[in-house]
Amino acid sequence: MNYRKYLYGSLVIAALLTSCSDLEEDPYGLINTGSFYKTPSDAESAIIYAYSILPEVGYYSRGFLIITELPTENLTQKGDAGVSNFELDELRTTSTNADLDNIWTYLYRGVARANAVITNVPNVPNMPEVSKNQIVGEGYFLRALHFFNLVRLFGEVPLRVDNIVEASQVPIAKSSIEDVYKVIIDDLQQAESLITSQRISEGRANKVAVQALLAKVYLHLASSKSSNSPGYDFVADADEMYAQAKNYSGKVTNEQTAFGFTDNLVDIWNTEIYKTAPVTEHIFDAAVDRTGEIESNYSKLPNMFLPADRRMVIPYDPLVPTSATINIGQGWGHFRTESAIYNSYAANDKRKTQLIVSQYKGEDGASYTLDISGNARPFTRKYIDPLRVGDKSSANTPILRYSDILLVYAEAAGPTTEGYAAINKVRARAGLGNLDPSLGVQAFRNAVVEERALELAFEGNRLFDLRRTNTMEEVLEHKYNKTITSGAYFFPIPQREIDTNPLMKP
Amino acid sequence: MKQRYLLFLFLSLLLSSVDVWAQAVTVNGTVKDGTTGEPLPGVSVVVKGTTTGTSSQVDGSFSISVPSDKAILVFTYISYLPQEVPVNGRVSLSIAMQTDSKSLEEVVVVGYGAVKKSDLTGSVATLKGSELNRTPAASVDQLLQGKLPGVQVMAPSGQPGAGATIRIRGASSLNGSKAPLMVVDGYPWGDAGNLKQINPEDIESIEVLKDASSAAIYGSRGANGVILITTKKGREGEARISFSSLNTISALPVKPDLWRDPVEEATYANEAAINGGLVGVDIPFTGITRNGVYYPSIAELRGLDPNKPQWPHNTDWVDLVYRNPFSQSYTLSADGGTEKTKYSISGNYYKEEGLSIKNFYDKYTGRLNLDQQLSKALKAGTNVVLAHTKTNGFGLSVDRSRIFPAYDENGNYFRTGPTDYGNPLAHANQVLSTTKTIDVLGTIFLDAKITDWLQFRTQLSSKYGNSEQDQYEPATATFRGFESQGYGSINNSTYTDLLNENYFTINRTFGTDHALNLVGGYSFQRTVNKFNTLTGQGFVNDNLQNENLSAAVTKTISNDLSRFDLASWYGRANYTLMDKYLFTFTGRADGSTKFGANNKWAFFPSGAFAWKVSEEEFLKSIETISELKVRASYGLTGNQGISPYQTLDRFGTARYYTGTGFQTGFGPGLASGNNEQGLTIVGGLGNNSLKWETTRSFDIGFDLGIMDQRFTLTADYYVKNTSDLLRLKTIAPSAGYDQQWINDGEISNRGVELGITADVLSSSELNWTVGANFTVNRNKVVSMGENDQIEIGTLYESVRQRISTYAVGQPMYVFYGYKTDGIIQSLEEGVNAGLTGAEARPGEIKYLDISGPEGVPDGVVDSFDRTIIGNPNPDFLYSFNTTLTFRRFDLSAQLYGVQGNDVFDFRKMTPSRQIQRWTPDNPSQEFPRANSTRGYRASDFFITDGSFLRIQNVTLGYNLKPGLIKGVQSLRVYFSGNNLYTFTKFNTGFDPEMGELGINEGNYPRPRAFSIGVNVGF
Repeated sequence: MNYRKYLYGSLVIAALLTSCSDLEEDPYGLINTGSFYKTPSDAESAIIYAYSILPEVGYYSRGFLIITELPTENLTQKGDAGVSNFELDELRTTSTNADLDNIWTYLYRGVARANAVITNVPNVPNMPEVSKNQIVGEGYFLRALHFFNLVRLFGEVPLRVDNIVEASQVPIAKSSIEDVYKVIIDDLQQAESLITSQRISEGRANKVAVQALLAKVYLHLASSKSSNSPGYDFVADADEMYAQAKNYSGKVTNEQTAFGFTDNLVDIWNTEIYKTAPVTEHIFDAAVDRTGEIESNYSKLPNMFLPADRRMVIPYDPLVPTSATINIGQGWGHFRTESAIYNSYAANDKRKTQLIVSQYKGEDGASYTLDISGNARPFTRKYIDPLRVGDKSSANTPILRYSDILLVYAEAAGPTTEGYAAINKVRARAGLGNLDPSLGVQAFRNAVVEERALELAFEGNRLFDLRRTNTMEEVLEHKYNKTITSGAYFFPIPQREIDTNPLMKP
Repeated sequence: MKQRYLLFLFLSLLLSSVDVWAQAVTVNGTVKDGTTGEPLPGVSVVVKGTTTGTSSQVDGSFSISVPSDKAILVFTYISYLPQEVPVNGRVSLSIAMQTDSKSLEEVVVVGYGAVKKSDLTGSVATLKGSELNRTPAASVDQLLQGKLPGVQVMAPSGQPGAGATIRIRGASSLNGSKAPLMVVDGYPWGDAGNLKQINPEDIESIEVLKDASSAAIYGSRGANGVILITTKKGREGEARISFSSLNTISALPVKPDLWRDPVEEATYANEAAINGGLVGVDIPFTGITRNGVYYPSIAELRGLDPNKPQWPHNTDWVDLVYRNPFSQSYTLSADGGTEKTKYSISGNYYKEEGLSIKNFYDKYTGRLNLDQQLSKALKAGTNVVLAHTKTNGFGLSVDRSRIFPAYDENGNYFRTGPTDYGNPLAHANQVLSTTKTIDVLGTIFLDAKITDWLQFRTQLSSKYGNSEQDQYEPATATFRGFESQGYGSINNSTYTDLLNENYFTINRTFGTDHALNLVGGYSFQRTVNKFNTLTGQGFVNDNLQNENLSAAVTKTISNDLSRFDLASWYGRANYTLMDKYLFTFTGRADGSTKFGANNKWAFFPSGAFAWKVSEEEFLKSIETISELKVRASYGLTGNQGISPYQTLDRFGTARYYTGTGFQTGFGPGLASGNNEQGLTIVGGLGNNSLKWETTRSFDIGFDLGIMDQRFTLTADYYVKNTSDLLRLKTIAPSAGYDQQWINDGEISNRGVELGITADVLSSSELNWTVGANFTVNRNKVVSMGENDQIEIGTLYESVRQRISTYAVGQPMYVFYGYKTDGIIQSLEEGVNAGLTGAEARPGEIKYLDISGPEGVPDGVVDSFDRTIIGNPNPDFLYSFNTTLTFRRFDLSAQLYGVQGNDVFDFRKMTPSRQIQRWTPDNPSQEFPRANSTRGYRASDFFITDGSFLRIQNVTLGYNLKPGLIKGVQSLRVYFSGNNLYTFTKFNTGFDPEMGELGINEGNYPRPRAFSIGVNVGF
């Protein structure tokens, strides 16, 4: 019978077809772990992706300043802002606060991106060790930065140091503050040894940035311990931490030349100067540029500060009222400068006269004066791009600035010659006289913190300075008549995390 | 020379013919309809075992020479049972053909084979192509409405070329497809809904596989049911050529509910502005100029302003925008063949004009079915389908103010301001929107008859389709065009699909009591979908439209592709014991690239049992019962539920500025849309354990036939539980991701289906048949993991929320919003109700405070007071069909009804209701006051009963007496009216038929159509 022939023939066909279909999925148009981290360009691209979280709207281009500035005496918000802004401003946050949920989410997205670099880039083949180390070091730096922000905002947090590849890794418990700092310091020390470059490019971290961040971390531990700030009992010796802070900030202020002190206040903040000058104060920024296609490639952060009344024209150089004018457009008036910070500047403090815009002209030439108690208030000049294109601006958000580290150095060094020299350098630039030369250790450090409030206003430092000096109540409640209901030293962990992470249940 | 040659040819032909006559016997006879006695022309008459054949003449007569007087003649004719008649030495035969429409011997197509209807164990509904309504329809899908029990067809749009939404036994997936699988001539084409490639006139039969037993042979694609389409095949005999035409004129079925009088319209607009707190120039009709446009005062509109003539404009937009469209369909087909070769070929041109100006749909389709017997054991064949469509234009709005003209004094389209893009005539004439599609589908197959009882079939099928959309919006025509200063785009999508099927069929009987039918095989299908879009924004002028996108200021390109494979092993065993007890076991193992490494393969088994009670001795004696069969089945079917690549980790991309320019980064976390606050949601975390959604169904039913199948009843009860629903789970944000695809959740559907047919009258001159279908389905979301409720669908700006939800314990798509209690009559009443500000004013809607943060009323109407306010799922569907034939006339009608569904009617406040608004003098409890700045809340104020009963179709036909026209074997002329009248309490001016979500935003009107059709057989 020839049916056997058919039978065998068809079985062979079927078998052939079966064998050629292993049902492996071959993705199109998308990149994933399986196809990435193969070349030096992939490694470069991986670290770029890790950086790109920084200027996102949810992070340094808006969210971070909402979280860190509204609770302090620096900023309040417009009347029709969301309820979560009001909760922050009035220090009564709950676990369902949308802004906290947002910053939490972005911080951990950053952690995940950094973890991907730390896990995968060391295995990239055929890549020079130096460039590989540089990129992995930047990954460690970014992870440390995110965890430093997390621990300062929320205290005990899940310590995610593994690249997540499957859902079973998602449940994870909180770690102690001590353990979080161990990872931060370890990461930064790794980064310091891996990164050799003093300066790579705008928006990328370098050895100086690593040392600057380490100095801030040690100072936070030192001052938190010495002031008995909640949660920092674990720190063994405050003085040792101060010494480390001095050591690392000293490396920034004394041992490098890539970054330095800018003598003219306004120049620190002029995008056309700080983005091109050979030496700038901007050790590390969340970088943006007005030629970007989407927000987070460019920044709309200036709109948060600028009043919404009308387009505004101001002198290009506030030192020279007759200088060329720039049209800075109009903003959303979302942030409102509080009278507390505005009035705490001495009348002749250049950081007020030059860096806060209190008057402007309309496009028709009419003059307007901004009222610190009105809806349209004086606003900071720190985020103004004179060449902005519509809403697109090149205004970077500073993450590590030379003057910040100079003041870290002063605070760590205490009332010593070099301590006084550091703070007086900052004061002199603001047009102020020298600090009382006979201060005790505590009084000197308090004076540095006060100087930081004026120098670093609207840059996202004040909340942490108050927390690490255990002065949230003393300053915000007693001095500025705010009421703190919740979240004084640590904000509540977002409810979404508690609901979806089974090991987070209280 | 040439002539001589021809003569030689002629003589040799003649001689050879004489040679045949010399040995043969000639048999003459007539063929008639066994019931009516009418002669039947075109009946195929073939000598069994040979290719010798003829067909009957107009008067039913035939003449055929047979090789011997022992020959057997085979008579076949469409819709009639074939007959084999031994000649037995006779020279004259009188044949009475029996129709097979109600026959239990009728063969029903099931997946990978066919069975006798009486031997079905599963729940399968069948429909003949000839039973479809004759009305303009771009695809057969919408014609299935009301035809089959358990099949819900929603066709809310009257736009030419629009498809339909089909649900079999309810919806059973949250994110996956809910549409049945469409299988055409053994080739699974994909989701049902718009089978534009097949001309409805080419369809021989439609079978719907509803329960697990029948659908499990399609495994992971069977959970939503399966629709099998069988196209007409060639039959032996001389070429039967037929031509049919359908010409249709349509009209708006109901007048849109619009302002009739400009004075009333202006009065309302002014009152609404004043009530809304607007002052000065913001009150529209006060005789002022705004944005360069003069707005007349009401006195001027009335002609009572002493200083101005009466306002000259009163534009009837309905008249300008709508028309009485003319639609046409022409089909030419032929079929025939010999014992070895059979063909069926057809071509169709279809043009449907839309009610809106400039809107039409053009379609050309062609089809060839060809079978060739290669040897005794081998048969090869092919099916080819070609389809080409073009859609132009779109629906237009007619609710523009009638106070303003269509054109300004310069003949340009009138605009009330530089950003007024509401003039429908400008829209229709200036915006380019054209879509062209091409589909090429083909199958080749080889059947091998290995032994008497063993067959093998191998089949290779391929589908290719392309759709190309051209769009251009000038800066003056749309807001998008204005923003871009001219917006042009070309969208291309292409799909290719390749299928190989190989299966064995075994048919054996053992003794008299055991019959076995086995099917087993393997198939492999690969589908590739490819998309690319070219967009240009900013053009110097509109001359070239989208023809040179490279001239645009901003150019955007995007492209994507998805590819997935499905490999399957399948088998079915039918075992019949003593022709009384029927057992069916079906199973299919499907493996898909879409699923994770841990769950690539899944197995879907089912089993069914049927008992032909009527074959038992105790019932055989009861003559009236011609059939009684009890069926029960249980089994698993699946749903693939997600698009490709979801099990893999997928990287996101972002750019970052590094001093001299932007660099591009890749890494974990893929942006997957925005949440309601506008923040990015990140997905892209793989899940290797993703698997299929699984539906477990139980079905029990019976088929009853009385008086030789004159009355039949089919009833089914089913329970379907779908589990492992694929959905996006919110995961801990500290993972760096917001969501991940997982399997959990459950949906249940339960229901009852009844189908009844009755030959009420049956005589040679007068026949009357009646049929009715009844469908009840109860759908329920049983669980959704950690969620009790998920809001789905569009985020409606006007009410600042989504309306449709999935809520545990409720049917899918229930409406979510506020409860109301009429209209507020006093400020005190409003404040007491928990309302504040303008919402508490008299004449506003009284929303109810029913809950609060603590779960009890808190004196404030806020988002805590929202609850389930309506259900768009109908209580039941029903339909009636009836046909009356009297001599050569036939009259048929179909009614279709939907009962007990809620509609969320965004268009509730029509002008006829605005007139009845609340005013201090008219304290309406039904309709709120005029207020142009009111922000409505989603509430039960908008919920309206959407029940309706529609006279779907009435057809009157006449069959011309055969033989009246030479060369014409049959001629039928008919008049068909479609969508003739709808009984409903729904919003006047709208068709009550909505899409699945039951939200009325104003659909493209469904036309009332009057057709005249002609079918000619040659």
